[in-house]
Amino acid sequence: MFDTALSAADLWFLTKGAGMTILVTAVSVVFGTVLGIVFGVFRYQLGAIWAAPVTFVLDVSRSIPLLIQLVLANAFLGTVLRLQMSGFTVACMVLTLYTAAYCAEIVRGGIDAVPLNTRRAARSLGMTWAQDMRYIVMPLATRVALPSWIGLALGVMKDSALVYVVQVVELMKSTQILITRLQEPLFLLLICGLFYFVISFPLARFGGYLEKRWSND
Amino acid sequence: MKLGLTLGGIAAAVVLATAAQADKLDDIIASGTLRCAVTLDFPPMGMRDASNNPIGFDVDYCNDLAAALGVTAEIVDTPFPERIPALMSGRVDVGVASTSDTLERAKTVGFSIPYYAFENAVVANDKVEMADWEGMKGKTVGATAGTYEAIWLEGQVKAWGEGEFRPYQTQADVFLALSQGQLDATVSTVEVAEANVKSGNFPGIKIVDKAPMVPDYVALFTMRNEYGLINYLDLFVNQQVRTGRYAELYKKWVGDGEPANLSVPGVDR
Repeated sequence: MFDTALSAADLWFLTKGAGMTILVTAVSVVFGTVLGIVFGVFRYQLGAIWAAPVTFVLDVSRSIPLLIQLVLANAFLGTVLRLQMSGFTVACMVLTLYTAAYCAEIVRGGIDAVPLNTRRAARSLGMTWAQDMRYIVMPLATRVALPSWIGLALGVMKDSALVYVVQVVELMKSTQILITRLQEPLFLLLICGLFYFVISFPLARFGGYLEKRWSND
Repeated sequence: MKLGLTLGGIAAAVVLATAAQADKLDDIIASGTLRCAVTLDFPPMGMRDASNNPIGFDVDYCNDLAAALGVTAEIVDTPFPERIPALMSGRVDVGVASTSDTLERAKTVGFSIPYYAFENAVVANDKVEMADWEGMKGKTVGATAGTYEAIWLEGQVKAWGEGEFRPYQTQADVFLALSQGQLDATVSTVEVAEANVKSGNFPGIKIVDKAPMVPDYVALFTMRNEYGLINYLDLFVNQQVRTGRYAELYKKWVGDGEPANLSVPGVDR
């Protein structure tokens, strides 16, 4: 069972792949969340009709499989627009939009969950719209949205396995390369799974910690 | 308003890009990078070394081509069924992936003259009684979906009217299935068969016989309308043979012996 051809160099190769997974995920989740908050607030403030174009773009991004989005975006940027873009850039752009699409819904849901009476009370105390958003809506909405956001971040981390189609060698692709060379699929997938677990477990625990800390009762 | 501006911008970019369009050969030289589709689970043509860098006949061939063009080579690991899609979706410039020059494929992509030719061997599981290639009749056979061997093998199974053909995603899957006894036999190139038997990764397999197939001529390919590049590829292949580089690479990756003759007697090209 433990008679394996896996060398220290191969483990380092996997670690580099895991580093790429973390990097792609971090970039996409950070930019995606910022964009998601903007789109979410935008959609909430403007109402269904005026926000329709944004809603449409986000719906497209949510409903087409990520793999197809990556291939099409890469072909469009490279072949039609003839931009010399690295696979990493394309991967981050597509994943960012994908994250933003889901995040916008989470943000909208979070804002919706703040009781309107509370917000009216804030405005009648003389708070501006910005102050209301900053001091009333944000703290309450964040508490509601956090669990879904953690779920989204973990999901994006796992979905980032698809960016191999644009020549980004991340954790899953590194594993496949090693499987092809060493012919030990089960053992290597086990190690790959362990890597994913090590990456996502702290994030999940951190989310749980924040949830507990922020609940007042 | 904003959407209109964006759309206008995209339209303008498309028009500009089309106006500035040079042919693919110019594009490759200008970009400084040649992106080759190479199949890296197909030893000795494409594989990885102990530090997971791509090596093999096709990898060297791509590097030679890039050197001739004065650009750097980028090896894009592309499984067999992905080769033409990778080219069509703009992920690679040229396929250097042991691709058989079938007329069916030539409807989609443009081929150079052949740069290599494979002969084929029948490989069987140890436990299966098989004296020659006709012993495959009525057995469960399989090969990598879409390859020349697979097309031939599936045709044979249909002609025999008994037995079963199973397609697989990669060459490694075929040999794994053969080693585990899910397959009785497969047909693969002599090179691949020898390397896989020698590697010891797939215990319980043996080479039975040569398959009675026309040698499998494989060619470089690119977009079919890129005549400038295809011309260049033809001359490049010719030069590789003329300078002895072809024989040198054969010796390095396949073994001693005469590399296959790349011209067919009695006909041009």
